[in-house]
Amino acid sequence: MNASGIKLGLGFYTALFIVFLYGPLVVLAILSFQTGPEGGPQFPIIEWSTYWYKHLFGLTPPSRIAPLPIEQALVRSLALAVMTMIVSTVLGVTAAQAFRRKFRGSGVVFYLIVLGMMVPGVLVGLGMALVANTLGIDRHWWGTAFVLHVVYTFPFAFLVMLAIFNRFDPSVEEAAWSLGVTPARTFRKITFPLIFPGVLSAMLFAFTLSYDEFSRTLFASGRDLTLPLAIYGTFSVEVHPNVFAFGVLTTLFSFALLGTYAVLMGLSVRRAKRVAIQEEA
Amino acid sequence: MTMAATSHDKPVETAAPSTPRQPNRTALLLAPGVLWMLLFLVAPILMMVYVSFWTQTTFKIEPTLTLSSWITFFSSDTYLGALWTTIRIWLIVLVSTLLVGYPAALFVGLFVKNKTLSTALLVLCVIPFWTSFLIRVLAWRPMLGKEGAINMILMKIGLITQPIEVLLFSELSVIIGMTQIYCVFMVGPIAFMLGRIDGSVIEAAQDLGAGFWRIFRTIILPLSMPGVVVGAIFVSVMALGEFATSAALSGRKLNLPGNILVTPGRSPRWAFAAVAGVVLTILMGAVVAAMLRVVDLRKEL
Repeated sequence: MNASGIKLGLGFYTALFIVFLYGPLVVLAILSFQTGPEGGPQFPIIEWSTYWYKHLFGLTPPSRIAPLPIEQALVRSLALAVMTMIVSTVLGVTAAQAFRRKFRGSGVVFYLIVLGMMVPGVLVGLGMALVANTLGIDRHWWGTAFVLHVVYTFPFAFLVMLAIFNRFDPSVEEAAWSLGVTPARTFRKITFPLIFPGVLSAMLFAFTLSYDEFSRTLFASGRDLTLPLAIYGTFSVEVHPNVFAFGVLTTLFSFALLGTYAVLMGLSVRRAKRVAIQEEA
Repeated sequence: MTMAATSHDKPVETAAPSTPRQPNRTALLLAPGVLWMLLFLVAPILMMVYVSFWTQTTFKIEPTLTLSSWITFFSSDTYLGALWTTIRIWLIVLVSTLLVGYPAALFVGLFVKNKTLSTALLVLCVIPFWTSFLIRVLAWRPMLGKEGAINMILMKIGLITQPIEVLLFSELSVIIGMTQIYCVFMVGPIAFMLGRIDGSVIEAAQDLGAGFWRIFRTIILPLSMPGVVVGAIFVSVMALGEFATSAALSGRKLNLPGNILVTPGRSPRWAFAAVAGVVLTILMGAVVAAMLRVVDLRKEL
C-alpha cells in the first residue's frame, strides 16, 4: 500500500532530522579533543588529546590563550538557578492552586502570568535595566537578574501545575476537609504528595531554564558574569576548543541532573503505587 | 485515603467546615504571583515605553518628553533596515522550522504506533536542550566554516572543488542555526496534536478510498493546526527577540533590533534602545494575538 512507502520515507527523514539536531554537537565533541595549545577549533584533528579539558581546570602550563572565567560564573549560575527554582515553583503551585476554582478575571490573570514566558528576554531585560537606572538601584545577578529569571520560569511551573491539577481528583481533599482537617494540613498531607511528580517537573523546568538563561541576564546582571554570559564573552574573541570542551562537560552535567530527576520521579511514582496498593488491601 | 486523615494524634474537631472560604483564599493564593508579575514584568515594559519618549542627548538622557527618538528611529536607514531584516529572518525561520519539523512530527505523532518508541524519539529531540543554547549555536561554526565539516565532506565526495564560503558568517548561517535550534518547538506541539487524532477517523477515510494526500489535506492538517500555531508562537517569540545566534554566526554583519539593543555595549543610548524595544514588543504582540485568535491556548492544556 501507499502508506507503508510514506512511512518508510518519513522514517528515513526523521533519521536525517535527528542527524541535523545532533550533527553540530558531535562535531563539537570531536573537536574538543583537538591537541593544544596550537590546535584550532577546526578539522583536521592534528592529534587527539585532552589538553583543552586540562586547560579548563588550569592544569596546563600557561599559554597565550587565557582560561575561561568559568569558576565563579559556574557557582553564580548554580546559585541563581536554585533560587529561581525554589521561588518559581512555590509561586507556580500557589497560583495553579488558586486556578482550581473559577473566579472573576481568571482570564486576565492567566495571560498576565503566561506573558512572562512570551515576552522576549531582551525586552524585559532592557526594561529592568531602565527601571534600575532610574531608581538608582545597582544591577546584580542575585537581584534584578534573579527577579527576571522568576518572571520567565514561573509561567512554566504554573502551566505544568495547571495541567497536573486538571487531572487531579478533588474528592480526596474534600474527604479530608469534611473530616475537619485544616486546609493547610490537607495540602501538606494529601495534595502535595499527590502532585509531587508535577512539582518535580516544574522544578526541573525552572532550574534548566534559569541555568541556561542568557538574554535577560545580559542586561540585568551588572558586572558579575553568570555562565552563559561568560560563554557569550568568548563569541567576540577568537574561539578555541576549550569552549567546546566546556560544552561537553556542561552537557554531561545536564545528563547527571536529568538522571537525578528520573530517579526521584521513579521513586515517587513507586511510592504512589505502594500507597495505592495499601489502600486497596 | 481515610488513613492519612485519621492516623493523626489530634482528635478531629466536630464542626466539619465544608470548603474553606473561597474569594479570600483565591486572592491570597494569587497575590504573590500577580504582584511579582506586575512589579517585575509589567512595570519594566511600561518603563521602556516611557523612556522611549525621553530626550536623548549624546551622553545623557533626561526625562523631558519628546518624540525625537521615535522620529530618529523611523527616519534612520540603519534602524529600519534592522527592523526589516528581523521580520525577514523571522518569517524565513518560521517557514523553515515548519517545513523541517512537520514531517518529523508526522512520523513521531502519527506513524509510530509504539508508544515507547514515539516517546523515545521525542526525548531524543529534546536532549540537546540540556546543552547550553549558546554552545549549540557555537557548534555550527566548525560545521559551516571554510574548513568546516560540511565543506570537508562535500569536497571528499567530490561534489565541490572549492569550499563554499557563504555557509558561515552570512544570513544563511544564521537561518540554519536558528532553524536547528527552534525546530524542536514545532515538532513537540505538532506531534502532540497528531498523537491525539483518533486512528479510526483515518481508517474510515481509507476504507472510503481516500488516498494519503487527501487524508493529509482534509483530516491530518486541520487537526494538527493548533499544534502548528503553538509551535509558531514559540518560534516567533524566540526568533523576534533573538540576537545571540546572529552574534555568533553572522560575524556581526547582520543587524537585528536585538543587536541595536545590545551593541551599544556598556552605556547604551537608552532612548533609542527603548524605541527599538517598544517596536519589537508591538510587533510581537500583534503576531501572538493574531495566532491566539486561531487557537485558544487555555483549551489545549
